[in-house]
Order: sequence, then C-alpha cells, then structure tokens
Amino acid sequence: MVEVAVLLEKVDGSRLSDKVTENSPSNYNLNVSLSEKTRSTDALVLSFQLELSAPQNTAKMTVAGTATVKGTKEEIQASITAPDDSHPPQVLLTIYEKVYGLLYLVATGLKVPPPLPNLLKKSG
Amino acid sequence: MYSGVIRFYSLADLRKYLKDLLERYQRDFDRSSNVIGSLLRTEGQKGMEVIMSKGWAKVGGLFVNIQEPEKGSMEVVFQLVTEMKPRLAKTEEVLKTFESVEQLPVPDEASFLLYLRGGVPERLVVDTTEPKPVPFAMKGKFALGP
Repeated sequence: MVEVAVLLEKVDGSRLSDKVTENSPSNYNLNVSLSEKTRSTDALVLSFQLELSAPQNTAKMTVAGTATVKGTKEEIQASITAPDDSHPPQVLLTIYEKVYGLLYLVATGLKVPPPLPNLLKKSG
Repeated sequence: MYSGVIRFYSLADLRKYLKDLLERYQRDFDRSSNVIGSLLRTEGQKGMEVIMSKGWAKVGGLFVNIQEPEKGSMEVVFQLVTEMKPRLAKTEEVLKTFESVEQLPVPDEASFLLYLRGGVPERLVVDTTEPKPVPFAMKGKFALGP
C-alpha cells in the first residue's frame, strides 16, 4: 500500500481583478511540475509545484513542496506511471487531493472562485 | 528496530537517509532521557530504586507488571534509553566517517545496498548489476472538474 506524505514549502495566492467574485465560474488551468529529488527502494521524494490560473487572469494560486511516496519498488513505480498520455499519474491525483482543502481556503480568503476538486485530463 | 536491506541510487541519497535516521534516533533518545531525568530529579536521591520495579511476573512468554505500573513503565523507558545509546553512537559514527565511503572509486552506474541490523547501518554493498531507474520528472497542463 503506497503512502504519500505531502510537505508544503510555498503557498501563494493573488486576486488579480476587482470584477471576480466567489460566484464567478471556476475554470482554472492547472500547470503541474513534478521532479524526483531522492529515491531508495522504499521511498521516492518528489518536488512538486501546482499553479492554478484563471483564464482571464483574474486569480492565481500556487502551492509547492515535496511529496514522499512510500511503498515497495513496484508500488512506487506504479504510482508515478500515468495510465495513458492524457491522464495524470496516481501520485499527482493524491497530491492534488491533499492540497485541495488549502487551495479552497485560499480561494475563499481571496474571494475568488474555489477550484474544482477533481483533476481530469491533460489540457495541452 | 528495523533490520533489512534498502537500495539507494546515489551516495547523496544514502547520506540524506543516514542524516534523517540519526536525527530521528537523537529525538527519540532525548525524549526518553528527559522522562527518566525528570523522574530522578523529582524523586531526589533515591537513584535507581525509583526505576527498577519488583512487580514483574512471567506470564506465558511475557513479563507482566500489574502491581507497579508507573515503576514498570519507567523501567521499560530506561531499558529503551540504554538500548538507544549504542544505536545512536554507531549511526553517528557512520555518518561522521561517511566521507571515506564517498571517496571510494565507485562506478557511475552503481547503486548501494545498505544493510541495517536492529536499526544500525552495518554493511554497504556497491552493486553494479542493477540498472538505475531514470529519474522521474513530468510537466503538464490539466483540466479540473467537479
């Protein structure tokens, strides 16, 4: 069973327009960057950065940190392997799930629409 | 404590693991030592009497203490501290002298099998038979949904 522990190192949020409200449509783009920091047979440490930006440049949120994936060598490999080119690997789904609550709170504090909870397909 | 083999793909990763391990042992040691220390200070000059319980009875394969739970707990913590000391010292020594391992002529493709016995790093095998995994990295844009 794979365990993913997320440690945040940066949280950043900006409200970039006066016209945006909590009730504006939530249509953020999510830019993801993941890279390996260290690896052993039972753990993989990844640096990650998730950047959410609204299309009309009305709001922007960024979270970055490290994710430690613990499990067997095979489980770790499976968690970083995407099922196909358009879907995210499991580890990314888990990271997003773990930071979602915080992103929601930041959005609420900024009075901008909260991001949607599920990470879907690649958009470009 | 953990006994087993862990494979690392670089000496830097191995060094970091040893550093984290030592920090964890030091934290555990400090915490347990503080418990014992504060009890000995509270109890004044009574010394080891406050730690060693006479309430142990052999029940099946275990020693059980019903009569003096506080003393029994203290005795167990004291035993833990005693066992932690050599583990901490040995791990500290391994980390202090790790530079000499880093200076070994090691092939680029090597990985490192660390053998831990009772939580103590004891042996290191430089393995050139298993290929190193390609470092993982990804970038992408994703859509969010309800």
